[in-house]
Amino acid sequence: MSILVLHFLLEIAFLSIVFLHITKKNVGAILAYGIQSLVVVFLLFNSYLESAHLELLLVVILALIVKVILVPTFLIRLIQKHELTFSISTYLNTPLTFIVLVFLIFIAYSNKFLPLTNIVPAHNEFLMLALAMIFISLFLIVNRRGVISQIIGILSLENSIVAFAIFAGLEQSPVLQIGILFNIFIWSAIAMVFVSMIYKHFGSLDTQSMENLKD
Amino acid sequence: MELLLIFTVLALASFTTLLFKNRVVIEVLSLISVTVTLIGSILIAMKVSLGTPYTLLNTFSVDAFSAIVMLIVSFLGFMIMAYSVPYLRQESADHIIGDKRAKQYYVLTNLFILAMLLAVTANNPILAWITIEATTLSTAFLISYYNKPSAMEAAWKYLIINSAGLLLGFFGTLLYFTSVKSGAGALSISWDVLRDNAMYIDPVVAKVAFIFVLIGYGVKIGFFPMHTWKPDVYSKTSAPVGALLSSALLSVGFVILLKFKSITDITLGEGFTNQLLMVFGTLSIAVAAFVVYAAKNYKRLLAYSSIEQAGVIAIGFSLGGFAIFAATLHLIYHALVKSSLFLLAGNILLRFHSSKIQNVSGMITAIPRTSILFIIGLVAVIGIPPFGIFLTKFYILSEGIITHPIITVMAILFVTVLAVGFFKSVISMLFGEKPESVSVEKENIWLLIPPAVMLLTFFILSIYLPPFINTLLNQVASI
Repeated sequence: MSILVLHFLLEIAFLSIVFLHITKKNVGAILAYGIQSLVVVFLLFNSYLESAHLELLLVVILALIVKVILVPTFLIRLIQKHELTFSISTYLNTPLTFIVLVFLIFIAYSNKFLPLTNIVPAHNEFLMLALAMIFISLFLIVNRRGVISQIIGILSLENSIVAFAIFAGLEQSPVLQIGILFNIFIWSAIAMVFVSMIYKHFGSLDTQSMENLKD
Repeated sequence: MELLLIFTVLALASFTTLLFKNRVVIEVLSLISVTVTLIGSILIAMKVSLGTPYTLLNTFSVDAFSAIVMLIVSFLGFMIMAYSVPYLRQESADHIIGDKRAKQYYVLTNLFILAMLLAVTANNPILAWITIEATTLSTAFLISYYNKPSAMEAAWKYLIINSAGLLLGFFGTLLYFTSVKSGAGALSISWDVLRDNAMYIDPVVAKVAFIFVLIGYGVKIGFFPMHTWKPDVYSKTSAPVGALLSSALLSVGFVILLKFKSITDITLGEGFTNQLLMVFGTLSIAVAAFVVYAAKNYKRLLAYSSIEQAGVIAIGFSLGGFAIFAATLHLIYHALVKSSLFLLAGNILLRFHSSKIQNVSGMITAIPRTSILFIIGLVAVIGIPPFGIFLTKFYILSEGIITHPIITVMAILFVTVLAVGFFKSVISMLFGEKPESVSVEKENIWLLIPPAVMLLTFFILSIYLPPFINTLLNQVASI
């Protein structure tokens, strides 16, 4: 794939995380995660095309199944089951959230992280964007009060790290990548079981409604 | 061979448990698996102490420190499983849990022990990360075990904080690979390969990588400010799981962190990582010392003590030289004493049906044997002479006085403040009038033997170190 296409794809992934910060509907958040995962799958597919290692194709197919099909489908079913149309709000309001986002992006693009974003000098722009994705995904986990948003935040953080690894030439062996994917799949399944249990116990998915740990 | 046997037996015990309904069969399966694990770990440790490199399929290897932590995990696993059988039976008799929940416990506990041993022995840092993440996944349902809102909340907090932290640790881990540019098909990039190529990492990248790794594995260890899940989880999970988390998992976290430290030190020299460990260690002790006074739950007290001990061990590893020997020994002592205290806390909970300090009084009258063991464990963990923890703390802090006098004096002050806070809370539990609702029936001997054996082992190791353990400790200190 050409540099322009790769840049376009990574920008889509970046914008999907920004969208996750502002969306008020769970379906929108899950779709944004699905699109972001699809971008990561494209990036992995590009790695396969460049290396021509057949095992990498297996990783691409498994990533597609887990990240683009299974996890979003399970999440959609979960919100349908519990009729969770609207996502729980953020701790910071939208203007403040945007200020923090701008600050985090500025940090990722600053000279402080130049040695990181210069791991592959030709991919400097990609790595800065991927680093910004890591930072704002982390902020998503911290800023969102809803448990579904927190799940998506964790999964976005993982996608961002994978994107960074691809452009930094730090991809691991296919066996380890499959291990990581298996981990993500199990993690998602467990997290979704917890969502149902939390909803059953608290009648809400707002972490602020959980106040049983004060002793 | 032994390692393969351990992995197979633990995995088999976990999966075959799913097939059986009979409680006794399930218990026997788990007891067999931890017995085999303990014997296998001792054999491996003896081989490693002779200087023989121990590897399995080039994917797993055991060095001196891994061998020590394997011993800790397998010994605690054995003792805790032996305690779990009567403990869970008592909970079933009290209608706290059913057979299904007990079965779930044995499946997940075997998986948890397996994941910890895989993490300690994994030859590849990414494989170590995957297995450490598996410890999070296997314990999440053990924490929500009682299916109460508070347990659910604690489990969710644990899942999110640990997963986010470990992902940052994963990012840091990947940055270490900049020295070798793994590329596809390179499964064989081991800790040794990273160490051999450490001089090629950009120093700034190495600094950032270690900070991320410290955050990631610091969550598992429980350093401030990544410690927040610990008091919540320890207070809401069952006593045996709390024992495993507080002692075994903490030790596993240190193994991985110190492997990254050794790589970073080649790139940057020891100053950077030592300073970070010193700062995080001291802050952890300080925070634990002050928060302990606000604790209203005796399991939380043990959690704060774990955070403090993690701080002491971190300071020990940051000082180098003989302090490393003392810190590793401290890790062993802490594991034995803290897990026995958790099991004894389980006995208190079974009798008083509350984990709140204000609801527990007259322990000496209600559960005299547990009380005596609890006092002994408390005195030992605080570090009062002549117990081993006093000696290791003394060695670590006296080494610190020479190189970092101000920080060490602060650490001593915080350790003392914490000890006073700890005593203050426990004294009120031990003495006074026993609530009328609490019976004085005879204590179950099977709930006393495992913690008593752990404390006895601690005393023996305080005065005598078996030659193979002594050799392993010296090997760790000389690296």
